[in-house]
Amino acid sequence: MKNKLLLLAAFFAFYGLYGCKDKPIDSNPAKEYGKIKFNFTHLVAGLPLEKDTMKYINAAGNNYEVDQLMYFISDVTLHNSDGTTKLIDGWKDINYVDVDLSSTLSWNVYDDIPIGTYNSISFTFGISEAKNITMMFVNPPDVNMMWPGVLGGGYHYMMINGKWRDTANVIQNFDFHLGIGQLYKSNVINTDSIYAFVQNYFDVELPNSSFTIEKNKTREIEIIMNIESWFETPYIYDHNYWGGGIMQNQPAMQMVKENGFDVFTTGLIQ
Amino acid sequence: MKRIVVLIVGFLVFTLESKAQILKDTVKLMPFEIKDSINRKLPYLETTIQKEQLESGSIRDVGDFLRSIPNVSGVRKGGVAVDPVIRGFKFSQINVILDNGVKIENACPNRMDPVSSHVEAEDVENIEVIKGPFVLKYGPALGGVINLVSKKPHPFEKFEMHADALYGFETNWNGQKEHVSVWGGNKKIYFMLNGGYSDYGNYQSGNASRHDTTFNSSFRKYNYGATLGYSPKKNHSINLSYNEIHGRDILYPALPMDEKSDNTRLIALDYNAVDLSNIIKSLNVKIYYSDVDHVMDNSHRSGWDSKQMVSVVDAMNIGGRAEMGMQIKKHKVFVGLDYENINKDGARTMTMLMMGTTTIKKANLWKEAKTQNIGLFAEYKTFFSYWELDAALRLDYNLASSEDTLKLIKNHISYFNDVSSNYINFSISAGITKEIAKGLYVSLALGRGTRSPNMLERFIKLMTVGYDNFDYLGNPQLKPENNNEADITIKYSNEKIGNFYLNGFYSYVQDYIGAIMLPSSVVMPQTSGVLGVKQFVNVKAVGFTGGEFGYSTTEKYKWGGSVVAAFTYSYIPSVTKYIVTGNNVTGDTLLKNDALSEIPPLETTVSFFYKVLKGKLVPKISARIVADQRHVSEASYEPYTPGFALLNFSIKYNIIKYVSIAAGVNNIFDRAYYEHLNRKIIGTTGKLFEPGRVFYINVKVKI
Repeated sequence: MKNKLLLLAAFFAFYGLYGCKDKPIDSNPAKEYGKIKFNFTHLVAGLPLEKDTMKYINAAGNNYEVDQLMYFISDVTLHNSDGTTKLIDGWKDINYVDVDLSSTLSWNVYDDIPIGTYNSISFTFGISEAKNITMMFVNPPDVNMMWPGVLGGGYHYMMINGKWRDTANVIQNFDFHLGIGQLYKSNVINTDSIYAFVQNYFDVELPNSSFTIEKNKTREIEIIMNIESWFETPYIYDHNYWGGGIMQNQPAMQMVKENGFDVFTTGLIQ
Repeated sequence: MKRIVVLIVGFLVFTLESKAQILKDTVKLMPFEIKDSINRKLPYLETTIQKEQLESGSIRDVGDFLRSIPNVSGVRKGGVAVDPVIRGFKFSQINVILDNGVKIENACPNRMDPVSSHVEAEDVENIEVIKGPFVLKYGPALGGVINLVSKKPHPFEKFEMHADALYGFETNWNGQKEHVSVWGGNKKIYFMLNGGYSDYGNYQSGNASRHDTTFNSSFRKYNYGATLGYSPKKNHSINLSYNEIHGRDILYPALPMDEKSDNTRLIALDYNAVDLSNIIKSLNVKIYYSDVDHVMDNSHRSGWDSKQMVSVVDAMNIGGRAEMGMQIKKHKVFVGLDYENINKDGARTMTMLMMGTTTIKKANLWKEAKTQNIGLFAEYKTFFSYWELDAALRLDYNLASSEDTLKLIKNHISYFNDVSSNYINFSISAGITKEIAKGLYVSLALGRGTRSPNMLERFIKLMTVGYDNFDYLGNPQLKPENNNEADITIKYSNEKIGNFYLNGFYSYVQDYIGAIMLPSSVVMPQTSGVLGVKQFVNVKAVGFTGGEFGYSTTEKYKWGGSVVAAFTYSYIPSVTKYIVTGNNVTGDTLLKNDALSEIPPLETTVSFFYKVLKGKLVPKISARIVADQRHVSEASYEPYTPGFALLNFSIKYNIIKYVSIAAGVNNIFDRAYYEHLNRKIIGTTGKLFEPGRVFYINVKVKI
């Protein structure tokens, strides 16, 4: 009987020693945070976009309508008044917006935002070269933004699909798309003659976007896309000149890219 | 049908014409309810299922059958290959082996091919199920051991030859299976040849509520093998076996892909000797090789025209074990060592057809990944007066590496980088049993089982391998998982009253291997329809508790029956729940004492049988009642599962010495139901239902 008890005691002793190792507790001091939410609004000449209606006239005098509008913004950065920045990438760093999908018209940001005063907001329109990886999206709707591999791969930065009335008064479709551009040997538009690719994403500084973040409160910020601005300033974009599709037309996409600097403005901050 | 008849008749004619047939083997008619063959002197629960029980039902899959054992459940993703779960422990938390030590590394990252799917029920002699981390001689064991022992030839005094053939058919699936075995030999040399074929269609769920659904669950499998034995002298034997198992077009509606083909090869060489000296009572040496070539794709899915996914994986396991049994008076000691070397390599090719162009992306799932494990083990058994003692020790050295080039580091956090790791693991168990009155035994078993992370948990890259709708990423730096378990069991056996047992267990699992979501800014999913990416991580601790109860009448009466019940409860003291709004993760919250996912609910099965015609004809009726599972994982958004009740009827008739029939009907009332562990249909929130009413018949001829 003594042997049995000794055996059991040895087992329990070993079990207790071996089985009860604990990890040190992480003692990260608590900080104060708030939340941020972006709401996306799309205007033409200051009024909400009305799709599928040929009621708009751009700076080139083209009568046009918008049927679909989808785009990515990424690497949204909040510039604190103390000189520091907060990159929004705690959960996602690329955000998709689609006027046909109401769930994409607001973005409840996962990141905890340190409280304080922020002077401005900036972001990348489209996706940077390092992050624009072919087949990184596998689900709709993002996956539908795929940019053909032979044309540079990755994803469209933006698709505005619509119609315009041409000089012969015929209604034509346009695919006002922005993505990775191509340079063609001898200007022969053929995928075999591509010798280089051009990254057309660009940085946007949202004007008048100062705000504050308060502890445990959510700040809502409206980001407005002024669609007509894609077709003006500094260049007048004429659908009659550039035609329906511009995915293989780097000069056209270069114009779109350069027109994009003032497309976004800040709306309601609440 | 013609093919089946020709097959059966051909083999019968062949074997009947063989000379020297001596019909010694008889078809034993067992009481064929799932009766726990509990070894009353063991301090833990060990259940043994004999082949007669396997042959009496509509078994198309060993994993499916195992669910009839109390507190053994299974993860269903399709028509076959139900992945066994013991008391909530699953996958590599349980050690599933063939023939006392052959290991198979499942190739499919989605576990379309758990080890139990590489063995056909018709080739199984018996199945041992051991609950808890108490038996350590078969390899690291955390939650339990399932030992699938296949039929093997044996020597005869003089040359004999025998054969059996089985044909089975099931309605609903319109499924049929055929199997034949031929075996024989003499004192020195003996052999067995076996082969089988099964072809099942899609099944329908129950129609009692008038909304039956057909699930894409068809499958086709075939296998063949041979074993050659040689007995150089008395008490010594050498067996060499070769088996191939093939699967074709096996559909898994709960997975993003289906199994296009699976080709498995098993080779094993065994040397066994008994009574070598007064002290050395046994010596068993085994060397094995298993290789699985697995191809899966989404060609049976609607998205194939625009997005094609094809994964090809090769998994190889080479290993062996040696065990020596010794006895000095009343002390029995078994010592030995085992070794396994797993190699795994596989890639997924995605072809996207969009905007008139084709884009192809190839990514590896495993890149020349390797795991080696060498273990030393010892078991000790003894008894004194009314006490029995069982103890076991195990020491493992485990090392893993991979040729992966993936580096995932963000904000100084390394998610996937250093791919090498090695661990020394120690497992121990001990149990005592005391006979406190005639036939009444009380046992206490304590054990700590440790297992290293498996190949999938370490290295998998972005596949939907979990129960939820996420791609999973391996974690090469996972630590081993430890189960500290205590079992208390009361067993009572009486020739008149019957057999009874009651068990309670508690498991405290440290460094539990769970998973957490990763931000899309770190890694994006690669599988269509998933919500995001999760990565395997060690969770500080989780707990399991529960128990089992069983009672069965003795076999001496014409009538009889059994009652079994089982229950498992789990908890995780602290877990993060991610708040999902629309398609965005917008925040997180800490939950206390949440449930773990995929834990089976309380259930009970009651069976009655009555022997007529001197036991040749045995009808049986059984009712299975399963409670709701409402203790579900809130962090994983796991839905609750409603309870259900089923009634089954079966009959076994030993017509003549050579022919027996097993027939019956499962789910008599055609209930539409699903088990809690059944996975969701991919792309939906609906669960994969179990089959509705099924009539079946198995005809077996044995000579």
